[in-house]
Amino acid sequence: MKKLLFIVLIAFGFSSCEKDDICSDETTPRLIIEFFNIAQPANNLNVTNLKVTGVGMTDELDTFTAVSKIEVPLKITDDVTRYSLTLNSTNETIKNEDILEFNYTRNQVFVSRACGYKTTFELNPANGVVHSSETIPNTQWIKNIFIEKNSITTENETHIKIYF
Amino acid sequence: MKHISKFTFSIALVLVSLLTQAQVTTEKDSIAPKMERYGLRVGVDLFKLTRSFYEDKYRGLEIVGDYRLTRKHYLAAEIGNEDKTVDDEQLNFSTKGSYIRVGFDYNAFENWLDMENQIYVGLRYGFSTFSHTLNSYTVYDSNHYFGIPTEVQSGEEFTGLTAQWMEVVAGVKAEVFNNVFVGFSFRLNRLISQKEPNNFENLYIPGFNKTYGGEFGIGFNYSVSYFIPLYKSKVKPKEKEESKK
Repeated sequence: MKKLLFIVLIAFGFSSCEKDDICSDETTPRLIIEFFNIAQPANNLNVTNLKVTGVGMTDELDTFTAVSKIEVPLKITDDVTRYSLTLNSTNETIKNEDILEFNYTRNQVFVSRACGYKTTFELNPANGVVHSSETIPNTQWIKNIFIEKNSITTENETHIKIYF
Repeated sequence: MKHISKFTFSIALVLVSLLTQAQVTTEKDSIAPKMERYGLRVGVDLFKLTRSFYEDKYRGLEIVGDYRLTRKHYLAAEIGNEDKTVDDEQLNFSTKGSYIRVGFDYNAFENWLDMENQIYVGLRYGFSTFSHTLNSYTVYDSNHYFGIPTEVQSGEEFTGLTAQWMEVVAGVKAEVFNNVFVGFSFRLNRLISQKEPNNFENLYIPGFNKTYGGEFGIGFNYSVSYFIPLYKSKVKPKEKEESKK
């Protein structure tokens, strides 16, 4: 009898925790960009007042200061995302805006019941990152761009290295 | 078990005393040997059947059956078919499939007189073959800078999937009127193996039910069945002795 009761209790226990819809797994990753010093390529260089805005967006994503690594989301409904990166954005005289265009293919990857699907990205080998300057004539503040990882599947690694 | 026995014993005592009132002269040694009926019991799971009516995203049918092998042991099986649509926040999918469960029940209930009730525990081996259709999904993206992700229609099918599992069953069955039994049971399932779809998961397995963290499932069964008596067998005194221990 005790055994029976025990089994019934277990069954009820399981039924009470039926809802497991809190997504705690890593889902759609953002693009990780790391900044380096062009003079000393092995060393990170912090950005100052780097305003990042998606081209066509009215609100900026964020303004980064005193960091050498930023995370930017890619569009999950389009195969191209353009960002405007303005260095020293608070200073009208020295501010400098560069445009980065990311071209990629998308994959929908199943994560779990609670999370459903996530999108992972694969930067195109030919034109993964296209660099241009907004205002002409203007010296581009970004001197060199290096694609570290074409596959963007996790935020735990750097995908793009920018030297300036 | 002891309490149940006590309870039934006291009820039986009253009944016996009523019976013996009419037959005061009955001699002690001439009691007829106790005969028990053996046969096949078939029925249907009402839980699944009624759910099909009130839940429009569910259709299911399960035929249940058991055959009495010995005084205590029953060979038991269930065959069923399910079609269920799950609508979660991130996913909407339909699972279709059929399953069979075979095993045995052990009746732990000591019946008095000619009662044929059961309080039983049992084991089942379950096998299911099924397919999923992913109706729609929403990509999980915690960053909403470019807008909140919208639902994507899919229609992708994942076919040819199978699963096998073990089930621990505990339940009761009672004869409500002549040869008609009503019973319910709880089931705790554990997956042995499954064929997983590519880029999806077996979130629901017909016969096994919803999967919890991949390995466990639970079930509930409310059945009504009809007993077809095939033969009668005498209860051996030795067996009686054993069962009293």
